[in-house]
Amino acid sequence: METIWLYQFRLIVIGDSTVGKSCLIRRFTEGRFAQVSDPTVGVDFFSRLVEIEPGKRIKLQIWDTAGQERFRSITRAYYRNSVGGLLLFDITNRRSFQNVHNWLEEAQSHVQPHSIVFLLVGHKCDLEAQRQVTQQEAEKLAGAFGMRYVETSARDAINVEKAFVDLTRDIFELVRNGDIKIQDGWEGVKSGFVPNTVHSSEEVTKGSRQCFC
Amino acid sequence: MAKTEQGYGPGMRGSGEKLTDNGNGNLYGSDPEVNGNGIPDETQVDKYGFTGGAQQTSGNTAEEIPNDVLRQRESKWLDMLNSWDKWMAKKHRKVRERCQKGIPPSLRGRAWLYLSGGKVRREQNQGKFQELDDQPGDPKWVDIIERDLHRQFPFHEMFAARGGHGQQDLFRVLKAYTLHRPEEGYCQAQAPIAAVLLMHMPAEDAFWVLVQICEKYLPGYYSTGLEAIQLDGEILYALLRRVSPVAHRHLKKHKLEPILYMTEWFMCAFSRTLPWASVLRVWDMFLCEGVKILFRVGLVLLKSMLGSQEKLKTCQGLYETMELLRAIQPQYMQESFLVHEVIVLEVSEKDIEKEHHAQLKRWKESRGDLNCKSPPRMHGAKAIMTADPPSRQDLRQRPTIIVESPLTPKTDEVRVGDTMGTRETKEDKEKKTILPSPEIVNPYLPPSEPSPLLNHVTPQGSKESLSSAEHDTYL
Repeated sequence: METIWLYQFRLIVIGDSTVGKSCLIRRFTEGRFAQVSDPTVGVDFFSRLVEIEPGKRIKLQIWDTAGQERFRSITRAYYRNSVGGLLLFDITNRRSFQNVHNWLEEAQSHVQPHSIVFLLVGHKCDLEAQRQVTQQEAEKLAGAFGMRYVETSARDAINVEKAFVDLTRDIFELVRNGDIKIQDGWEGVKSGFVPNTVHSSEEVTKGSRQCFC
Repeated sequence: MAKTEQGYGPGMRGSGEKLTDNGNGNLYGSDPEVNGNGIPDETQVDKYGFTGGAQQTSGNTAEEIPNDVLRQRESKWLDMLNSWDKWMAKKHRKVRERCQKGIPPSLRGRAWLYLSGGKVRREQNQGKFQELDDQPGDPKWVDIIERDLHRQFPFHEMFAARGGHGQQDLFRVLKAYTLHRPEEGYCQAQAPIAAVLLMHMPAEDAFWVLVQICEKYLPGYYSTGLEAIQLDGEILYALLRRVSPVAHRHLKKHKLEPILYMTEWFMCAFSRTLPWASVLRVWDMFLCEGVKILFRVGLVLLKSMLGSQEKLKTCQGLYETMELLRAIQPQYMQESFLVHEVIVLEVSEKDIEKEHHAQLKRWKESRGDLNCKSPPRMHGAKAIMTADPPSRQDLRQRPTIIVESPLTPKTDEVRVGDTMGTRETKEDKEKKTILPSPEIVNPYLPPSEPSPLLNHVTPQGSKESLSSAEHDTYL
């Protein structure tokens, strides 16, 4: 039996090594938190359904990537087929924040001719005492790049759902408005198995800032 | 249905975590940081030193070798190690056969050191490791390495404690490598390799075996650009076509690129994939026969999981296939099954070289020349030895403990002992000759507290195994 979903979105999760990419994804897809997580070697792959509105389900394919620069030659192949991305930094690690623009550049140069809707994620927000990046400056940076910003904690399950669901909603709006189109040979958005009626009478949610890299 | 979709199914990979817990992260009792020493009292330690995690051996999944067989194997291995050059030159088949049967645990570390040529490298570069060890290292690499130290086999008693001796040695080995090959630096996939080695040998030996693996067995795997691993992915995929056309067609249909499933397998030499007993057996063969063993293991796993239409019925899609390959059924990874399949699978060095040539040509046509020129790959111990024939002197054994044995022929080696040896063998003093050597300090013995390794030395180093087991500090 096929699960009914409206669309399938492919998301990519990027950011420096040890910012907590795998832990965030595991919390979201498996509902658990691992104190220790193997460094990701290469690319890993997860999936979950989210219900963005009653009866409207989106299947998310989430690609986890190794953070070490060395692996970029492998991970960069996965930008092209992604419609959305979570760009993580660790709020207790200033350097990971400084590298955000490098990651964006990296994504931009490998996603053409498509675009990725990015969400900036300040991770490990449970570690307030060790914070090195303020919420204000992160929001400012996100604003400059036209992204939303959210602070999350995989350990305490703070905003994990919100981060993925908000991003999914934003992409959904763009798809519905025709700003993002389903294309042959592009895996970013795929249409699901669903009766047409679900498409009708949608409320347009508040406009949000988007990044079109 | 929806549940499986959401990833609650059995397909999760729990290598770094305990899977008994259901959602509440705070219950992770074995977290090194939480427990300080990382080994909770109530936790069972398996015979390989794991207290939990995916690697822990449960029940009787590992093959049990009768003691008398083990003793025989130990004496055969001691004999081989004593005249290594002759065995490798004239009876290499026998060496290979014995590696396929599994190296006795008590001699595994030393056998790996000899097979890989690490022993010769160490002898030819005396003092080199110490020299590298004394340097602070490039902060760029030191920073990344430090962040990874607590993430390598955190459920192994040696690596559980933050800043413990295992993690310290791991740092020393990895940092030394970045100084040895500054143009390569550190790749995160090297850490599990080094950790497996450190479970079997002291830091200096582990360093030289790591060097051999990175330079001779898997050249280019960890270098910038990671071209070698991508090329091997294509080679694996091409070989699969012959080994299991069904699996090959399935992967092709769902556009599952080799890099998605084989990167971790190959870069970590299956140390993060297989049950521990199988990891060790695969490494025994890998260090003897070279990279073809990794290819064969990969092919056996792919064939076992995706090799028939029936198996593929429930697995229609990229994600479903990835899930399947991430949660390989235990019977296919089980030691005896896997080793047998690997031995009988007919994929030779020649096949790999031929395919390498073909894929390299394709690569050049589509992507241009390789950016990183790696030295040619050496297919195993024999090739390494032939390329750089060692002197007798280089092969001379320099164990930290020497025990007189009726089984080993007398040699005129310098006999040295260390504090650990003295401590362990007091009761059997009259049977052994131990000459303490002031310059050799056992790196595994902290000055004040007893080494956790000692717990494991005792059961296996029983009196009947004096001749062999106690030759080695690392079991």
